[in-house]
Amino acid sequence: MSRVNRFVKNVYDNRIWLLMILPGFIWLIVMKYIPMFGQIIAFKNFRFHPDGFFASVFHSEWVGFENFKFLFSTNDAFVITRNTLLYNILFIIVGLILSVAVAIILSEITKQKLAKIYQTGMLFPHFLSWVVVSYFVFAFLSVDKGLFNSVLGFFNIEPVSWYNEPQYWPYFITVISQWKGVGFSSIVYLAAIVGIDRTHYEAAMIDGANKWQQIRHVTIPMIMPLIVILTILNIGSIFSADFGLFYQIPRDSGPLYSVTNVIDTYVYRGLMTMGDIGMSTAAGLYQATVGFILILITNYIVRKIDEDNALF
Amino acid sequence: METSTNVTTSYQKEADKKLTKKKTYNPYGFSGKTSIFMHLLLGTFAFLCIFPFLYVIIISLSNEQSLAENGYQLIPEQWSFEAYKYLWEMKAQVVRAYGVTILVTVLGTFISVTVIALYAYAISRKQFIFRKQFTFIAFFTMLFSGGMVPFYIVMTQFLDLKNSMWALILPMAVNAFYIIIMRTFFLRSVPEAILESARIDGAGEWRIFLTIVLPLSVPGIATIALFNTLAYWNDWFNALLFIDDPNLIPLQSLLMRIENNMDFIKQNAMLSNQNSSILESIPQDSARMAMVVIATLPIALSYPFFQKYFIKGLTIGGVKD
Amino acid sequence: MKKVGVLSLVLVLLMGILAACSGKSSSGETSGDSTEDHVTLTWYLIGTPQKDVDDVMKEVNKYTKEKINTSIDLKLLDWGEYNDRMQVITTSGEEYDIAFTSSWANNYALNARRGAFVGLNDLMDEYGKDMKKLIDPAFLEGAKIDGELYAVPTNKEVGQQAVLSFNNELVKKHGLDISKVNSIEDLEPLLAVIKEKEKNVTPIATFDAYLPFDSILQEELPFAFRLDGNTDEVVNKYEEDITMETLKTMHEYYKKGYIQKDAATSTDSWPLETANWFVRKEIYQPYAEDIWSRSAGYEIVTRELHEPYIFNNSVTGSMQAISATSKHPERAMMFLNLLNSDEYLRNLLDKGIEGVHYEENEDGTIKDLPARVENYNMPSFAIGNQLILKLYEDDPADKWEAFEKFNESAKSSPALGFYFDSNPVRTEIAAISNVTSEFSPALLKGAVDPEEYLPAFNKKLDEAGMQKVLDEIQKQYDEWKKEQ
Repeated sequence: MSRVNRFVKNVYDNRIWLLMILPGFIWLIVMKYIPMFGQIIAFKNFRFHPDGFFASVFHSEWVGFENFKFLFSTNDAFVITRNTLLYNILFIIVGLILSVAVAIILSEITKQKLAKIYQTGMLFPHFLSWVVVSYFVFAFLSVDKGLFNSVLGFFNIEPVSWYNEPQYWPYFITVISQWKGVGFSSIVYLAAIVGIDRTHYEAAMIDGANKWQQIRHVTIPMIMPLIVILTILNIGSIFSADFGLFYQIPRDSGPLYSVTNVIDTYVYRGLMTMGDIGMSTAAGLYQATVGFILILITNYIVRKIDEDNALF
Repeated sequence: METSTNVTTSYQKEADKKLTKKKTYNPYGFSGKTSIFMHLLLGTFAFLCIFPFLYVIIISLSNEQSLAENGYQLIPEQWSFEAYKYLWEMKAQVVRAYGVTILVTVLGTFISVTVIALYAYAISRKQFIFRKQFTFIAFFTMLFSGGMVPFYIVMTQFLDLKNSMWALILPMAVNAFYIIIMRTFFLRSVPEAILESARIDGAGEWRIFLTIVLPLSVPGIATIALFNTLAYWNDWFNALLFIDDPNLIPLQSLLMRIENNMDFIKQNAMLSNQNSSILESIPQDSARMAMVVIATLPIALSYPFFQKYFIKGLTIGGVKD
Repeated sequence: MKKVGVLSLVLVLLMGILAACSGKSSSGETSGDSTEDHVTLTWYLIGTPQKDVDDVMKEVNKYTKEKINTSIDLKLLDWGEYNDRMQVITTSGEEYDIAFTSSWANNYALNARRGAFVGLNDLMDEYGKDMKKLIDPAFLEGAKIDGELYAVPTNKEVGQQAVLSFNNELVKKHGLDISKVNSIEDLEPLLAVIKEKEKNVTPIATFDAYLPFDSILQEELPFAFRLDGNTDEVVNKYEEDITMETLKTMHEYYKKGYIQKDAATSTDSWPLETANWFVRKEIYQPYAEDIWSRSAGYEIVTRELHEPYIFNNSVTGSMQAISATSKHPERAMMFLNLLNSDEYLRNLLDKGIEGVHYEENEDGTIKDLPARVENYNMPSFAIGNQLILKLYEDDPADKWEAFEKFNESAKSSPALGFYFDSNPVRTEIAAISNVTSEFSPALLKGAVDPEEYLPAFNKKLDEAGMQKVLDEIQKQYDEWKKEQ
């Protein structure tokens, strides 16, 4: 059979599956792949042309990698890359442990009503925008009106100007980010745990396993595929940071930049005066490319270990 | 002889107790002490999560002047309903915003879950020759996209969706992240054995999908449905780009506009002369918080609706391998 | 093989769709001179959408149809989103005719340089004669970029003047003499009194220190021209002596408790109605004290910090540009001409319909009706020529004359009309912007010690490429100066 014939036969044999992916596929093409041509702006010095966007892009001057330079040109470049990377690695690890732990605990609570209340409560932070959260953090950390300093004053300790002291902020940021995110991320793990077949537990109990052993030998292995996939996906965004967390929460305080400036905030601050679309596109492309390469590497490693758990 | 009988009886009682303990040993929970500790842990955390929201409610009920003078306080100097009165005056707009948000959320979630579930199921099947390629096609879009302007052009110039409800639904209808999650659920929750026996019995793929796979994947579907609901409800970005018609503004967008306005004006020294007249038409802090309350409370309280799918025991039990 | 098959399928689809849609960039016919054809112009304006806009626009369109056979489709975009929306609209090449632009929203200079706006010199001469007579020449000349005007400025106060505003109740209560206050340093004795005697009042409502420079691109950025002395050299204003002195004073005040402790991070806007401050810094316009006093509910008095200067920012505070994608630039100019010179149209658009939104008194002044504040509250200064607006009954009768006098007395800054093109050094500016954000807010508000922070600031600026930018600015400036 010729190649073309074989291809056509494959299409026909898989027609049901192709039909299933069709709506999603069309959406992806129209909403994601077609706009992707816009990435080319990252390599151009954008100037408007009266005939519209395509004409503008077409007529704009090609500048190669010049729009990317600002991401590497100064010492700050090292700081922001280090910050973004380290925070994200920390968040991935801590977030994973906390979300899975919370999900497991929730699934093991006997009093259903209470479990429901806890879970609903834990989801509330997800609904608050970073701006609103920053007001509360301010209520805690304000130099003269904040709660922390009132408590310190109660113990006759000098008030601390929290927004000027960088050493505390990695802790603040980590705690706040987990506070906001754990409720939400534990949901998907909980859903996976709930779907685990009861008989596995019963078999373990017959073997004499106690609660902790059950968790270690049944629950966790059963949700491992999900853990692996989500971790791989999170690695893809390792060069992107949640803007609100690093800009609103520290109130854009200068002295804290050494620990709060990440790639996204650097790009925002750098382009505020110029609004250069080429540079902002370049930054996004840079972050995406790094994440993509990292995912490919991670996926390759996972595939070597256990093919089923890999992304593709 | 009474004492010995007593002793025997009590000894037997103990043995019986141990036996019954073993029989009624609840495999679904922790032992007493651990259980209390866990409750404390989760309870405290849950409280810390709700607390700021309570704070938001308190601020929304504070008198604006005392807010300006004293900042945010746990127990405001003066209580006041003025924020809600202000919103009540906008009630037509708020009610319309609710309507838009609910319609978009319900419709959007339904469409999204359907499209995503179909796509994810197909790429989870080993029989699908092209599954690796389509997984990649979906996953690639998680990282790379075209940016705001090309997206805007596609929506307004190619699809002509300005000021249309579809502009609020379509952009979020498909999410590669959810597709991948759903694929994992499909891979895990449905053992190939059942499907094989169903096929042998002559059932078609669609029938298998609808009658066997879906019911077994309820937790996964519920998760995706929940994520979508939350995403649609919280979305303000699409309305910012595409909606001018005041009848189509969703709830969060209304809130965002108010917040952005205030920040913009405060930060612009050039506007200090016109400040007062502009700010006349914009609510201050307490009203902002009131908006947060009315925009968030319904969705937060709707969560229990989804919860029943995450509770052990309610799922149609697993399969004996 | 299957991979290739699928991927090529995808590519073909992609190209097909692209090809089908790329023909969308249409080329319409441009309208000629005459007003024979009826044209509808799309106008993007900043401001909160008001309920009665449609009603008012009906009246407006009746008038404009009669005069120039044109209808206007007014689109109000809210304050917080105007900038972002217009950026997307402009970049995507959307067809529209007129848009509000300024130095602080939908940036005038940047967009003009990138080609988003039509050059207006010729159009003004031909279709804008009436408004050209009315608009202060400082606006028309100062807003030209490389000799071409790219938007029609709003005629209003052209000079920028920073003043210190005082809560007069407190001034009177403690018998303070503000007549000797001419600078921030002079405030010391008064602040000391307030600090001691008024426990619930913060003497200084947090503000950025005033520095006598004409800043390039943005206030906080370091590149600037001096206002006195050698005014032809671009400098890093943070390296100048006057800056160190002023900031030291600010820091003294901070240490003495005259400034709020969290000045650098607080977003407190110090609303006028709350009487918890003594002095603040504001930008002045004639009779501003009246406006402020009215909002505050108590009297506000002012002292000037310097004489009015005409800066680039003050001539580009509010303008209307014609889009490069507009199919009817001539008609758009005709409309703008009408708007800025015709009293009826200008007041209609600004205040609404007589009898519904306002009442006219016998002497020609007007009074607001409740419907105006509720349903038709438009941003007056963003629309057009202020000086042909009707006066309110409680406005001073010579308000517009005072504006004209104010404008005449204003001195032109040495760099007025020089618009720096940041494109050649955009990498350095991105880095410098970050460094500036890191140091300047705390320094300007007095929250940190300038002896320690200014040197650190300047060192980091140098590392970020300060000299390269200064050289580029100087080069462009010298070339521009030659053409003047």
